[in-house]
Amino acid sequence: MSLLSVSNLHASVVTDEGPQPILKGLTLQVNPGEVHAIMGPNGSGKSTLANVLSGRPGYTVDGGTAVLGNDPLLELEPFERAQLGLFLAFQYPVEIPGVSNMEFLKASMDSLARARGEEQPNTATFMKRVRELASSLDLDPAFLKRGVNEGFSGGEKKRNEIMQLLLLDPKLAVLDETDSGLDIDALQTVAEGVNRYRSSDNGVILITHYQRLLDYIVPDFVHVLSNGSIVQSGDKSLALELEAKGYAWLT
Amino acid sequence: MADLSLPKTIDAPIWLEGETADQISDRLHQALNSSAHRERWKYTKADGILANVAAPSIAPFLDSTEQAGLEITLGQLDHALPGIDFQQGPEASARLCYADQAVIIDVTQHAPEPLRIHHRDSTLPVIIRLAANSSLTMLEIADSSDAMQQSIWIDLGENAQLHHSRNALDPCENHWQYLNVRLQQGANYRLNNHVAGSKLRRQDIHLILDGQGSEATLVSAGRVRRKDALDQQVTVEHRQPRGSSKQTVHNIVADGGKCTFNGRIHIHEGASGTDAQLSNKNLGMGDHATINTKPELEIYTDDVSCSHGATVGTISQEALFYLMSRGVSPDTAEALLSQGFLRQCIDGPLAEEALQSLIGKAVAS
Repeated sequence: MSLLSVSNLHASVVTDEGPQPILKGLTLQVNPGEVHAIMGPNGSGKSTLANVLSGRPGYTVDGGTAVLGNDPLLELEPFERAQLGLFLAFQYPVEIPGVSNMEFLKASMDSLARARGEEQPNTATFMKRVRELASSLDLDPAFLKRGVNEGFSGGEKKRNEIMQLLLLDPKLAVLDETDSGLDIDALQTVAEGVNRYRSSDNGVILITHYQRLLDYIVPDFVHVLSNGSIVQSGDKSLALELEAKGYAWLT
Repeated sequence: MADLSLPKTIDAPIWLEGETADQISDRLHQALNSSAHRERWKYTKADGILANVAAPSIAPFLDSTEQAGLEITLGQLDHALPGIDFQQGPEASARLCYADQAVIIDVTQHAPEPLRIHHRDSTLPVIIRLAANSSLTMLEIADSSDAMQQSIWIDLGENAQLHHSRNALDPCENHWQYLNVRLQQGANYRLNNHVAGSKLRRQDIHLILDGQGSEATLVSAGRVRRKDALDQQVTVEHRQPRGSSKQTVHNIVADGGKCTFNGRIHIHEGASGTDAQLSNKNLGMGDHATINTKPELEIYTDDVSCSHGATVGTISQEALFYLMSRGVSPDTAEALLSQGFLRQCIDGPLAEEALQSLIGKAVAS
């Protein structure tokens, strides 16, 4: 059974001038254990795909389906999708002063555990786990007491996203340009985190502009998104070809 | 609009030597009815509070009074306080005129223990004088009551320091707190204010930076729910050069609550190098919250750095989505975000009680 099955997905972004169609019949299947890279020029709909899958307000679904395991996603609230095992690593993680990272992570862990009928982790074990993960991603554990992403550098925010990915251990991770704005060291740290997450049970959708990230996170499939649908699929060599030739030959 | 008037005739107090009772009454009457002052009562009825300024008062309960550096007396004020301003605070000035006694606290050096002031009713005016280089931590708590008033006048000598924490969290029919602080050169005053709305609760705060390089900080968290009301009127005067003041006031107003904030910064001529900042943020939740906020700036000198801002908003949709994308339900996410909003302004030795009362049990500990 596939992990995620997206079929003929049409979606619009809500603008002041009315809805603007972005995704125009996107079909994608992710099986357990697979990493799918999605590349494409600006405006092709890469981030829209991430946002529509996660249920971000401001988008409307005009047609098609997206099913995670056995569960149709598109009718669900964002928190319900997360409880089913979907995770979005944000392109621009939000700063929330006054809510500490620790409090936020605990609330998230507790909600997910409750939804799955599992026991909520005890605080000591949980804190130990979070500290270990933080230091494995070069995040100073002192950040746990600070507000969520408050005063974080761009790189710290992205590493915090990956920390959450490892902590929450979802079924499917959608990484929306997690590599943007990272220097080479941070990129390696982030990639190492994603590789640690990978297993034969879960899946990754890696949205990126650049082939560079794929040197560190080797994808099973590379798809080119253009004008709202996938126009070409291949293996990692497609990414190299794109880097050499650009997108123009496909679009 | 009918004139505001004092509830009974005034006797000339000793500390206002040279003025007759009639002259004082006239001045107060005029100040009460000046347009600037009427503006400060635009959103709250002055009558109920004014009617009580002459009501009998008792001394507040004090703890940790027996310690080095503190001298406490119950007596008459014998000379005028430098902070008294009929124009700015006619009700409080009147209250001081009516009071036959005041609690006078002299701080002569560093007081090692926090001084606790507990109001269970209307209390006598409290006058706190900090000698040069002295320091004090003060905890002020107001209990619930039908109608009560408290007024505190503070004078900080050169380089004196006062850390003042105040909780007014219990319900009251009609509660008025007046606070007047004057800072001399190099003095430092910090107020952590935690307040819940009540049937009627009004806080007047007047900070006067009257010496070079003095520093005043006001951090306040408030929550107003149901049919409750809160009216905060803050005036910060920079009278001397190189003073700095910073105000951060966050209020949550929910379900029919009404909240008023008026923050006025007045930078006098000659107060160059002043740094004055004011931020008032209001979070409206539920239905029918009323929020009035007005930052005011009056600047009569060049070379100052001044920022003021007021926002009225609802929970950030971006932040809400971020939390929900991690599996947190909308109710829990909203609770976390509103708690976080207030928590940014809850600090100091009375923070724990304030967190309990204003935020309740944390969603996640």
